[in-house]
Amino acid sequence: MDKTLNSKTKTLLSIACIAAFLVFVYIGDNTIPPGSSWKMMITVIEKGSIFALVAASMNLLNGFTGLFSLGQAGFMLIGAYTYAIFTIPGKSHDAVYQYFDGGLIKWSIVEILEGKLGVLGHYIGMFIPMIGAGLIVALIAFLIGIPVLRLKSDYLAIATLGFAEILRAFFQWNTLGPITNGSNVLRKYTTYGNAIFPVIIAGICIAIIMLLINSTYGRAFRAIRDDEIAAEAMGVNLFKHKEMSFVISSFFAGISGALLAMFQTTINATPFNTVMTYEILLIVVIGGIGSITGSIIGAFLFTAASEWWLRGLDAGRWLGISSSLMRPGFRKVVFAVLIMLIVLFYAQGIMGSREFSWDRFIAWWKNLPSNLKSWPERHKAKATARKEARATKAAAKAKAKAAKEEGEAKKASGEKLFTPLPTSNEVMVFGKEGK
Amino acid sequence: MADKKDNREVVLRLSDITMQFGGVVAVDNLNLDVHKNEIVGLIGPNGAGKTTAFNCITGVYEPTNGAIEINGQVVIENYPQGKMKDSYQGRNQGKYTKAITMLPDKVTKLGVARTFQNIRLFKGMTVLENVMVAMHMNQSESVFGATFRSKKAREEEKAMREEALDLLKKVDLYENRDDMSTSLPYGKQRHLEIARALATHPSILLLDEPAAGMNPQESDDLMRFIGRIRDEFDLSILMIEHHMQVIMGICEHIYVLNYGGQIADGTPAEIQANPAVIEAYLGGDE
Amino acid sequence: MGFLHTWLPYILAGIAVGGQYALIAIGYTMVYGILRLINFAHGDVFMWSGLIMVYLITVLPLWVSVILVILFAIILGTTIEKVAYRPLRTAPRMSIMISAIGVSYLLQNFALYITGGLTKTYPTIAWLQKTVTIGTATTKMVTVITPILTIVLVALLVLLIQKTKIGMAMRAVSRDFETSSLMGIDINRVITVTFVIGCGLAAIGSVLYFSNYTGIQPMSGAMPGLKAFVAAVFGGIGSVPGAVVGAFVIGVAENLIKGAGWTTFSDAFTFVLLIVILMVKPTGLFGEKNIDKV
Repeated sequence: MDKTLNSKTKTLLSIACIAAFLVFVYIGDNTIPPGSSWKMMITVIEKGSIFALVAASMNLLNGFTGLFSLGQAGFMLIGAYTYAIFTIPGKSHDAVYQYFDGGLIKWSIVEILEGKLGVLGHYIGMFIPMIGAGLIVALIAFLIGIPVLRLKSDYLAIATLGFAEILRAFFQWNTLGPITNGSNVLRKYTTYGNAIFPVIIAGICIAIIMLLINSTYGRAFRAIRDDEIAAEAMGVNLFKHKEMSFVISSFFAGISGALLAMFQTTINATPFNTVMTYEILLIVVIGGIGSITGSIIGAFLFTAASEWWLRGLDAGRWLGISSSLMRPGFRKVVFAVLIMLIVLFYAQGIMGSREFSWDRFIAWWKNLPSNLKSWPERHKAKATARKEARATKAAAKAKAKAAKEEGEAKKASGEKLFTPLPTSNEVMVFGKEGK
Repeated sequence: MADKKDNREVVLRLSDITMQFGGVVAVDNLNLDVHKNEIVGLIGPNGAGKTTAFNCITGVYEPTNGAIEINGQVVIENYPQGKMKDSYQGRNQGKYTKAITMLPDKVTKLGVARTFQNIRLFKGMTVLENVMVAMHMNQSESVFGATFRSKKAREEEKAMREEALDLLKKVDLYENRDDMSTSLPYGKQRHLEIARALATHPSILLLDEPAAGMNPQESDDLMRFIGRIRDEFDLSILMIEHHMQVIMGICEHIYVLNYGGQIADGTPAEIQANPAVIEAYLGGDE
Repeated sequence: MGFLHTWLPYILAGIAVGGQYALIAIGYTMVYGILRLINFAHGDVFMWSGLIMVYLITVLPLWVSVILVILFAIILGTTIEKVAYRPLRTAPRMSIMISAIGVSYLLQNFALYITGGLTKTYPTIAWLQKTVTIGTATTKMVTVITPILTIVLVALLVLLIQKTKIGMAMRAVSRDFETSSLMGIDINRVITVTFVIGCGLAAIGSVLYFSNYTGIQPMSGAMPGLKAFVAAVFGGIGSVPGAVVGAFVIGVAENLIKGAGWTTFSDAFTFVLLIVILMVKPTGLFGEKNIDKV
């Protein structure tokens, strides 16, 4: 980096980029005819921004507070249902709740406000249930958090996963049918008109998450992530801060659930299962655990790959290659393999724990040609290094083998190598190291 | 026995503290006083229960029996209950009847800060951020205000930053303020741990082997450093240390533990002449 | 008598399902005991065993198929360990857990591809479907066989762990990973054996489990897998007898709930149980307390 931009230029640059992006999305969604691959891009942006929000909210927990929570799909589910239930227009209730006598709630917040305030009312009517969705999820998360957040890493993961499953069962419970429509689909609720809507909402929410992370509370969260015991010794109330992070994260998961409901136009509890949580987690991993910009990039890449770029793999023809292997489902397999490769060989993800900055971006851009040029050499160097490492490993293995043989020879000659461990008669067969 | 000649007020008092894990008595009936502005040493061979005693004071462990007073107020007290009732091997059973517990963060808020034997810095943060975390508990803005950068939040953040930078200057870490905490050399990491503890505005500082791994020159510097912060921050210090040079050099009073039990206490000169201590360290004649 | 008459079928079914959960749960508990890893992919190995059976039975006789299914599960499990867990052994625990989730995702998606998303019909094993009458209840052979087989296998496993050299090594590794490796125990071998046992039992469990159901699909492994994990936690993770007891409790309770007409919540109950046990006794029924070192 020879020269850095001053902060005013950087801000202007960021604003310009965001504005251009929004204009593109708005005009694009209005003008591009359905069916073209550009339309696909708009869809990817829509869905990508919704998943960017939920991934950022999960990152707040997993990457910034060190809480390995797997309840995100469950929270999205509540958010989606809350939004949908309160925005189904009165006249559609009989059709939607056909098995439940038109349901219990016969009105829609959107309709009521629209009647009073017109177009403005329409939008306020969409915002209220959306924020409400977030708040209800936050309340439920608060209650769940009281018992669950006292648990340690993997137990927390399982307990949150379990709660998400309970919630799913609850929403499909027939007794609640007049409200949730049981295991049937909810539809005909109010949705947005242009793809710019989820992009803006998700953008604002992610900005708030970033502000939180960079505040003094965010610092306390990160302290908990790095070392719970030290954080506590520095006066950080563990439970209070964990609960705070959990509730805020869930609030945004709820909002993203509401957005997803609008995007899909119909919802059902079934797909909000563990697979969905896994996918959100994998987005976070691809982007980098501990990087919000990483989660955004991860979400767009994930959505683009699964919805767009790899589509051809299902249809039998991709990048000009056709094969009988390519039939429905192949895309997801390739995709899962790619993710495994990332998890195993590129564990820090795209951004690691850093955030996007113009300086770094410009430096990367400037160095790109030389990096590309030197790639073969670096690759060669890496290969040599790997070879050497393998050789050392082989040598060490041979040595170990020799030592083992020696030991065996000694054993054969009757020498005792070490005293065997005592056999215990406890019921416990495997136990954690006790004290 | 400890306070026969000291007229200063007692800021930290451990009475009959016993910590038993299953059948193992890690700390056995420890009685210890720290007076205002005093530097007290806690020594003993490995496994003598020194760090366990620290963990009892700071609320990490719940002692099995005994009480802890901070500034004259009982903040932790316990007696053998539940399963421990039958397996308790310590003394003074029945002397304590209340069960008062306190979480580590509350103890810190009462003015007891600590460092750790095996350095526990926040690895993903810079030196400055490490110190600022310790000031978090003293700020009063809500999450909401802090997130949306209210005026109060901005002022508090600014004040915190200034104070943290000031503190870093005092511990010679100002130049390293933007480095990652883990990239610091070992000695500086120890300094940062102390700075972080100081940022909580303590009145009592617990140092767990601050000179571990230091050469004689470095431990000499550390000794002077500890004396300096005691005066500058008006502290009372309780420290665990293996470097006899450091302990004998700055401590006014020393407690010696062995196998959890308290075998001696007194001034450095008394300790050096105490046959029980010499036996514990060098092994007696069988 | 009326009470028993109503509830006996459910209790019997519960014991059978419990035995099947137990066979899966052992894999979870042993792997956790040694690697401190929730093997999220274990349920999917179980599902794949079922799926492979569907394909094998069309060309091979039953007993050959069963043996091959067990072999397949063992190979799959040890391969997963070698490829996805071994390279991350020194990485933070979160990474290895994410890797396990990734493997689970891959296995499910691959199954989705192979089956084309269709539910496959699990072969009927005539002998297991024979009707037997116990007291007032009529039930299938599999209901009787499962608990017996489970108890026998667990007894054999406990013997293996208590009496053999490899069992001793396993106990040592579960106590203290690093020290055992310094003592000359071949950690990799111990881990491989753990996965062989866990996956082999899961494969046997899959034959018993899926004979109760007509169909099998890519998500079939997820729920039994999670339940078996809860069973392992309930019994005290790391303890084989604990996992078995936990599995029977969950199996019976779940069927009683179904019997009471609360089918929607039979799955949810498992998680309620998990959360209650984690609150009340986080170490489970037979687990030992673990003290954090500061």
